[in-house]
Amino acid sequence: MARSAASDRDDARSDEARSDDARPSEEPGGASPPALAVEGVSKRFRDGEESVLAVDDVGLTVERGSVVGLLGPNGAGKTTLIKCALGIVLPDAGSVRVFGTDVGDGRRAAYADVDAMLEGARNDYWRLTVRENLRYFATIAGVDPDSVRGRHDRLLDRLELTEKADTPVRELSRGMKQKVSLASVLAGGAELVFLDEPTLGLDVESSRTLRRELRRLAREEGLTVVLSSHDMDVVEAVCDRVVMMANGRIVADDTVAALRSGTERDAVRVVSADIDDAVVATLEERFDVRAVETDRDGRDHGGAGSTAVEVAAAGDELYDLMDALREAGVTVEDVETVRPDLEDVFVDRTGTEGDANPRGRSP
Amino acid sequence: MTGGPERSSPAADPPDRPRPATYYHLARAVLYREYLIFVRYPANAIGGIVVALFFFGVLFYGGRLLAGQALADSLSGIIVGYFLWTLSVGAYSSVSSDIGSEVQWGTLERHITTPFGFAPVALLKGVAKVLRTFLTSAVVLAVMLLLTGTRLSLDPLTVIPVAGLAIASVLGLGFAAGGVTVLYKRIGNWLNLLQFGFVALISAPVLDAPWTRFLPLAHGSAMLQRAMVDGVRLWEFELADLGLLAAVALGYLLGGYVVFHYATRRARRLGVLGDY
Repeated sequence: MARSAASDRDDARSDEARSDDARPSEEPGGASPPALAVEGVSKRFRDGEESVLAVDDVGLTVERGSVVGLLGPNGAGKTTLIKCALGIVLPDAGSVRVFGTDVGDGRRAAYADVDAMLEGARNDYWRLTVRENLRYFATIAGVDPDSVRGRHDRLLDRLELTEKADTPVRELSRGMKQKVSLASVLAGGAELVFLDEPTLGLDVESSRTLRRELRRLAREEGLTVVLSSHDMDVVEAVCDRVVMMANGRIVADDTVAALRSGTERDAVRVVSADIDDAVVATLEERFDVRAVETDRDGRDHGGAGSTAVEVAAAGDELYDLMDALREAGVTVEDVETVRPDLEDVFVDRTGTEGDANPRGRSP
Repeated sequence: MTGGPERSSPAADPPDRPRPATYYHLARAVLYREYLIFVRYPANAIGGIVVALFFFGVLFYGGRLLAGQALADSLSGIIVGYFLWTLSVGAYSSVSSDIGSEVQWGTLERHITTPFGFAPVALLKGVAKVLRTFLTSAVVLAVMLLLTGTRLSLDPLTVIPVAGLAIASVLGLGFAAGGVTVLYKRIGNWLNLLQFGFVALISAPVLDAPWTRFLPLAHGSAMLQRAMVDGVRLWEFELADLGLLAAVALGYLLGGYVVFHYATRRARRLGVLGDY
């Protein structure tokens, strides 16, 4: 999936490069500047003993048309970084450039192509209807709403809001309100959007709709998305690159696939009724045995009495493991690769388990 | 009005040809939103009118019982002052509480991160509030005139500019209070009490103490009395009076916006913008 998404995005980028000929913020070499360039940004809140270094010398570049996930435990500095990028929080040091425009110097110009959906914010007017919100916020974002009427219709359709287009937002369910919030952020045709916990409060179906729409927008329209979420499923499904933060710093920045393969948790799981304590002891002498489970009643794996061992083994180690099992007279019933998911990588890199609340159940 | 923020190739579905919004579109959007909320949720406006008329009823009938002829002699002045007070309170509280509400809803950030810049958006929102307040205060004025049988000069070419400029200074105070609300949420709530101070400003002794003309409302109130009670037309006022009225309006409006600007800047520095 990552490969096809990347090629789709490449197509989108080349399309966009064509449409960007007139952009004034083109770099001297002729190449279009990245959607977002954060350099050495630091932000400290409060003074003295109570001071908190929320963001510590962070640098980050987000290319046009990419979808970047921002992960980190609570207090890692994700929201502060997003707010610094928007100019809602002024950094103590460093610079933020949006499509080549410095947010500090030319905020108005920078804002022409940026919008954001911030965590916990209603983000729109509940006493207006869904469509009225889209029209209002398109105008506020600098676009004549009559000229993007078709876009609004399609947004409503794809986010399954058409039937509620003329209903005041206050009368909608929480999940629908969340979708309206997203629609209003996209209504003005911003090219870079920051989404802070966009799936918070959404049911499974709504969350799936939102993921699908985000992917489509990135693929077909070259939309650049910076998505901060506790929902690892959303991040894995939507983002082609993940930036992990802890204690105000970036601790990992790579594609989901590279992060997974780079972790030390690659392992194989071997099931056999021949694995006994002696075999386990032999394996432990030569390999990193992660887990041993005996299936006493035959419900978990293989037949009753079979044992599963999970051994960290990659590359040549895998052949060594198989040789060791054959030497021990073990007939393998089942073998599978245990691939780390983003949650494992997250725990590895941030050293946090509880705060992350992986698997999409936000606190 | 033409012009607007610079915008380059916004992402959109191919059939759309997004055009940049001009200040005309911005004004239309802000005023239309105000209109929609006004007609869709009239309870707030009607409630305000009822409360204003109730207090006037207490003032009028209570005053007639206690003061008799003395009240009758100054009734026209009281009605004009009360009309200006309802206008002022409406403009001040709607602007200051609107900013507080926008902070709470998470919509203030979206108005600050607009390519138009916050100043024109805030000004247009203020104008929208003033227009709405004019409508409700006009109803209050009409009922007061019917109730008391008083006749006043209601030349719109005079009353609207004079009253409008008079409450522009209050709009400035509303922006300042809104700025303080962004920064210090609890203190902001107490600033709503300022609206009772408007009574003193409206009845300021501008003849005996000319310096009070530089306070918000005071000079405008005196001019509105002359316009509505004595029938003085806009072009019959001295140029110096009109100039002072405009200068006070502009001064406080600008001052209020500067306070709001620095308050939001400090809120951005402290990282509390949007926290509620």
